[in-house]
Amino acid sequence: MTLPFLSIRAVRKAFGAFVAVHDVTIDVPKGEFLTFLGPSGSGKSTTLYAIAGFQDPTSGDVLLEDKSLLLVPSHRRNIGMVFQRYTLFPHLSVAENVAFPLRVRRRPDAEVKRKVADMLALVRLEKFADRYPGALSGGQQQRVALARALAYDPPILLMDEPLSALDKKLRQEIQTEIRRIHRETGVTILYVTHDQEEALHLSDRIALFKEGRIEQIGTGEDLYLRPASEFVAGFIGNSNFLPAEHLETENGTAKVRLADGSIIKGVKATHALGRGQKARLMVRPEAFRLTPVPGNASLAVEIVDTAFFGDRRRVVARTGSGDEIDVRPTSDTAEPGGADAASGRQIFFDPATAFLFPA
Amino acid sequence: MTANALRRQSFAGLPAGSGGALPALTLVGLFFIVPVVALLLRSVTDPEPGLQNYAALFGSGTYVRVFFNTFLVAAVVTAVTILVAFPVAWMLAIMPPALGSIVFGIIILSMWTNLLTRTYAWMVLLQRTGVINRALMGLGVIHEPLPLINNLTGVTIGMVYIMLPFMILPLVGSLRAIDPMTLRAAALCGASPLQAFRRILLPLSLPGIAAGGLMVFVMSLGYFVTPALLGGTSNMMLAEMIAQTVQSLLNWGLGSAAAFVLLAVTMALYAIQLRLVGAKRLGGGL
Repeated sequence: MTLPFLSIRAVRKAFGAFVAVHDVTIDVPKGEFLTFLGPSGSGKSTTLYAIAGFQDPTSGDVLLEDKSLLLVPSHRRNIGMVFQRYTLFPHLSVAENVAFPLRVRRRPDAEVKRKVADMLALVRLEKFADRYPGALSGGQQQRVALARALAYDPPILLMDEPLSALDKKLRQEIQTEIRRIHRETGVTILYVTHDQEEALHLSDRIALFKEGRIEQIGTGEDLYLRPASEFVAGFIGNSNFLPAEHLETENGTAKVRLADGSIIKGVKATHALGRGQKARLMVRPEAFRLTPVPGNASLAVEIVDTAFFGDRRRVVARTGSGDEIDVRPTSDTAEPGGADAASGRQIFFDPATAFLFPA
Repeated sequence: MTANALRRQSFAGLPAGSGGALPALTLVGLFFIVPVVALLLRSVTDPEPGLQNYAALFGSGTYVRVFFNTFLVAAVVTAVTILVAFPVAWMLAIMPPALGSIVFGIIILSMWTNLLTRTYAWMVLLQRTGVINRALMGLGVIHEPLPLINNLTGVTIGMVYIMLPFMILPLVGSLRAIDPMTLRAAALCGASPLQAFRRILLPLSLPGIAAGGLMVFVMSLGYFVTPALLGGTSNMMLAEMIAQTVQSLLNWGLGSAAAFVLLAVTMALYAIQLRLVGAKRLGGGL
């Protein structure tokens, strides 16, 4: 077995009685784009800071190519980092900002010049070399910060919510840039964000943090299609959670009764549940279909609201027991409601796409 | 022009509401501008019309030496004040604001204590048989008392102490404006603490150093009490010389000329600094 490139081993960070990170262990192969995703205060940034050397972990170790980083001061770790806030040096031009890490390493002038030109080409800001940071937009500043962080070919690039100060359109644009730069440079990236779309768009793997622990780590598909817990299912994508009672599990599929009395068969049984145990059935909004005809795994609902969102419609349906369900059919399906809206409709879903979590 | 804008125009063309500034402006006009003009007039009319007072001032080795010494003391005091103030200002800038304002309050408190009292206190501490010399001799560090008073050392110690708040205040403002993340970024870029200081922190705090430095330098140029009490006869400063010229020699013309030269130099320095800082703002994007 080959050694992992970067290894975070049982890293724990306590601030007094409060434990921000509980024994987090992750192995990162070279060249991977790994995202730490989670709500604020979940320990993702603290873990990143331990790698950067801003906060020493209370216990545990961080190994790069099998050598511990913990006793190495920040300025000798040779790690690149892009921060949430704009941290360009305001008194230096764009070119001098990118040159800074090379100048403090006393690289020859010719090399500095060549590398700065390469880096500015990489982030497509060649024309801005002589500008000062104050004259750049937020997106441009973060691209310069990216160029500065990559100028010295660091083995790892840390990114701490670098796009959170930008507007949505610009964020998507720079995400595409970051993907391209990751492809072109092959640098190993650890990326922190609380935005699940950003994580899904960028990452090879996502580590979802909750209260200082990793709840699940895997590809975006793993987390979306095979969530390990109700928290994961709720954090990644949109989900409906319906109160249910577990009736029985046979051959890996479960039978449940929903609050309105309907019986759903063929739900994947990922958690061991007892007979009669309270549970929550999770169904993605896009898994529902609207239909006028009752069938298997269908619920009688009343349409409460419907809205058009371009590629999809958003329909709010209410079951007989009063639970509201978010339904997202593609917009080429007929608009629900109309003449028979008041008389009620049916929605159905494939039970194999649903998940059952203990309540 | 809208009716509202019209109403805001007073008959004198001044913005409305500026009437409240009148008492202060009158004070400055009557008791500063008028005396300065009188001073200038006196320097070219007393005892007779002409520039003989200025000729005497720049022609005499003694007076030129006093000028030189004045600038030397002001320069040394400014340099030492910057060195002493910087670490304090940095500490205040990175402290939690609540704690910082307490420490800053203590520093300000020293400014409210009478200047003369503080200078006499230094005399007690610094003289040959003073507390410092006796303590050092008692500890066996020295065998002869150190010459700490009636020389440049004494003046520098006494004046740096008085000037510190004037340096710390603008410097803290300048340092607080620097995002601490910028320094973290510099560290991760590979800058050692010394490199981060020299290449990032120092250039970014220059406006504060310049503002505080000029204030201290200008105040030092005209300082009277502290140099008079802690300095020696061999390094007399301009303010003391002016007092002597007027009080002992009763030479009002010469004293006026010296005072006017001091004022002119101060204003010239101020103009230079304004230009330097202004130009830097435009070019450096600070």
